[in-house]
Parts: sequence; C-alpha cells; structure tokens
Amino acid sequence: MRSLKLLAAVVLAALVHFVGVRLWPDFARATDVFLVVVALYGLEGSSLSALLVGMLVGLLQDTLTSGPFGLFGFADTIIGYATARLAQRLVIQRPTGVLALVGFASVLQQVIVLGLAFVLLPTPETPSPLWTAIRAASCGLLGMVVYVAGGSWRRSAEARRRGRMSKLRLD
Amino acid sequence: MDERRTGWVLIVVLVGQLVYLAVQGARAGQTRLEAVGLRLLGPMARGVASIPEGLKDAREGVKLRGTLVDENRRLREEVAVLRLRLLRLTDVEGEMLRLGSAMRYSTPPAGRIRAVDIVYVDHTSWLRTMILYTGKERARKDQPVLSPGGLVGRVITVSGPYAKVQLLTDRAAAVGGMILRTRRQGVVRGTGRGSGLELDYVPLQADVRPGDRVLTAGIDGVFPRGIPIGTVIAVEAGGQLFHRIQVAPAVDFGTLDQVYLLDYQAVPQTLKEAAPGAKP
Repeated sequence: MRSLKLLAAVVLAALVHFVGVRLWPDFARATDVFLVVVALYGLEGSSLSALLVGMLVGLLQDTLTSGPFGLFGFADTIIGYATARLAQRLVIQRPTGVLALVGFASVLQQVIVLGLAFVLLPTPETPSPLWTAIRAASCGLLGMVVYVAGGSWRRSAEARRRGRMSKLRLD
Repeated sequence: MDERRTGWVLIVVLVGQLVYLAVQGARAGQTRLEAVGLRLLGPMARGVASIPEGLKDAREGVKLRGTLVDENRRLREEVAVLRLRLLRLTDVEGEMLRLGSAMRYSTPPAGRIRAVDIVYVDHTSWLRTMILYTGKERARKDQPVLSPGGLVGRVITVSGPYAKVQLLTDRAAAVGGMILRTRRQGVVRGTGRGSGLELDYVPLQADVRPGDRVLTAGIDGVFPRGIPIGTVIAVEAGGQLFHRIQVAPAVDFGTLDQVYLLDYQAVPQTLKEAAPGAKP
C-alpha cells in the first residue's frame, strides 16, 4: 500500500511538473515537486527506504535535465536520508515545521547539486540567490500544503471508518 | 535495520553514485539508466503535451467559416509567393552546381529534414533540456535539431521513440560558428545564463560588429554549414587575444512546439569508429 502511494505520488509529481512547465516556462526553476515527494516521504519513512526513494526519484528527475546523469540522484539520496533522520530526532507536527524542513531540503539540494557541478562540469552556472530563495520558499509551501491536505484527508477517512464501525455495532 | 547499518548503506550508495558520475563523464555517452528514465517519463510528457493540441483542434473546429475562407486565401497567396521564390532559388542552385562542377568542387549533401513534436522543454533552468517524440523513425545521437528560425541543438540521448536534446544555450554546448559578413570562424557556446550565447576564439584583429549574423561553420563534424545561429549583440575586448562576443540566438526557445531533425552526417560513421578517441 505504501509503495503504491509512493508510486502515485511520483506519477502525480511528474504530471504536475510537465503541466507546470507547459503553463509557465520558469516552473522548473521556481519549484521542485520531486524534492517535495522525497522530503515528505522522508518525514514518514525509515531512513533506509527514504534514501533509496530519494535516489530513485532523483535519477528520474535527472532524465529531465541536461547535466551529468546522477546529479539529482546523489543530492536526493542525501535529502531523503537527512529528512528521515531529522524526523526521527525532532517531532515535526506543525505545518510550519514541514515548511521549514522542506525549504531547508531545497537549499541543501541546490548546494549539493552546485557543488557536484563545480567538480564535474567545465563551466558550471551559479544559480541566482533570488531563484534559490524562491525555489526553497515554493517547495516549503507546497510541502506544507500537501502535508496539511494529507493530514485532513487522513482524519476524514478515519472519521468515516469510525462511522461505519459504529453503524455495524448498532446493527 | 539499525541506524549504523543504514549509515553504511548510505555511504556505499553515495560512493557508487560518485563512481557512476565519474565513469559517465569519462565516457561522454548516453547511459542505459537515462534511457530507461526517458522511456518512463517520455509517454507522460507526451500525454501532457497533447492536451493543449486537442484543445486547439477543438477551438479550430468551431472557427467561423468566413475566418477559414480568409485564412485559406491568405495561405494560397503565401504559397504563390513562396513558389516564385523557390523558382528563383532553383535557378540559383543550378547555377551554383554548374559553377561548382566547373571548379571540380563537390558540395556536401544537404540532408533530409523531418518534423518532430516537442513533448517537454525546459529552456530557463540551468540544466535546460528538451525531449522530442520522433515516432517510428528513431533519432540518431548527435543529430542536428533545427527550427524555421535556426539551430536549436543536437540529440544527446535516444530511447525508443523519445530523444533528449542538448539545447544550443546549454553551457556544455559548443558549435563551430562563423560570421556571415566576414566568414570569420569561432566557437559558439551557451552561456547558461538566460538564453545567451558567446562566440569565442575570434581574434581582436577580426572585424566584428553588433548586428552581424552568425551561422554554423560546418567545422565541428556535427552541424552542416549555413544554419543560422544568431546575431551579434555586443562586442567587447575580452582577454589579450580574443574578442568577447555576445550573440542572441536566432530561435526563440519559448515559442517552439515543433522542430526538425536533420539527417546529416558530416563525418562518416566508419571514420568515427576507426578513431574512437577523436571527437568532432
């Protein structure tokens, strides 16, 4: 069930990415839906599964870039592991905590990718601080919205389930 | 699994990925994993790309008849003008071939072009790319990609009916270019900043002015000669030897929805295979 949910999340992220880039050419620069999936998975998963999911999602994202294949795979492996470890140590329950965590993950990802690019590419480009900040903020916001929406969906599903159970008892 | 073991797994995975990145950089070719990723994401990108086309078709369907009649008349006039131009150009081509044969000069084959659809394009982020759907007839690695405006880039990865393109503006892209007015050659590189290009290795003595048109020089073994690349917008004294020339691309990457693949191979494959270390 968890794998299916993850697969659905990745497919949805890819669709959002494709539609976003079609509607707004700067979408890929302004946000990273794949990173949000990795970070949110890391919040709820074990650190081993989070690092493996991070690697796979990152490699998928590498398909949509022209850089050396594996830049995002490497960065998202660290992101997945780091978010999972953080979630084990800190109790992140508030939506603002998720915002801060995903925003930090976005900055960390960009730093790792840039560092690798400087090692591997002859003339790497330094992304503008403005776009880095926009990306971090939008990823954080998106992560928070998905987290809140997921939480309320879970609560309503639970309430429905309880309602059904109480009806069964009455019958 | 305890956290210590997970830490070891993380280190192994990261080292493995670093080795993979390093090996890939040394081999400079497409990787199998990338082809798999392209095969997975390509159909999704194509599905999303086809939605606006469907909407456009529906909108066209309800267009008023009068509009269509007007459009048809305008297109007929355009076809007539283009036919006249083609006649003139055919005459010029014949003359050029006659002169060429008199001089015992054999022109390189022009190559066949075919239209293919863009299913995904990211031309703004710093790792910009484009994905094409080429249909049954597959693309070839290093195949030139054009638009009616000029050069777009070259195919770098092929996976089934999908092909990934390195855009001309990518900071890793380099094309042999020449200034049309003076035939001075140099190397056009993507700056990676916005959609800018730079023409490198043009000596300070060379005459270059803003407004000069830059075409492919046909010296890189990938692109044929004479495809528009862009226009010089600024010329500065760079180092001690060369100009620093900024070029605006001839193609507006934001408006592309279809491009052309050119069947052109400057350096025969047998020659390339005979010298595997030699790069065009």
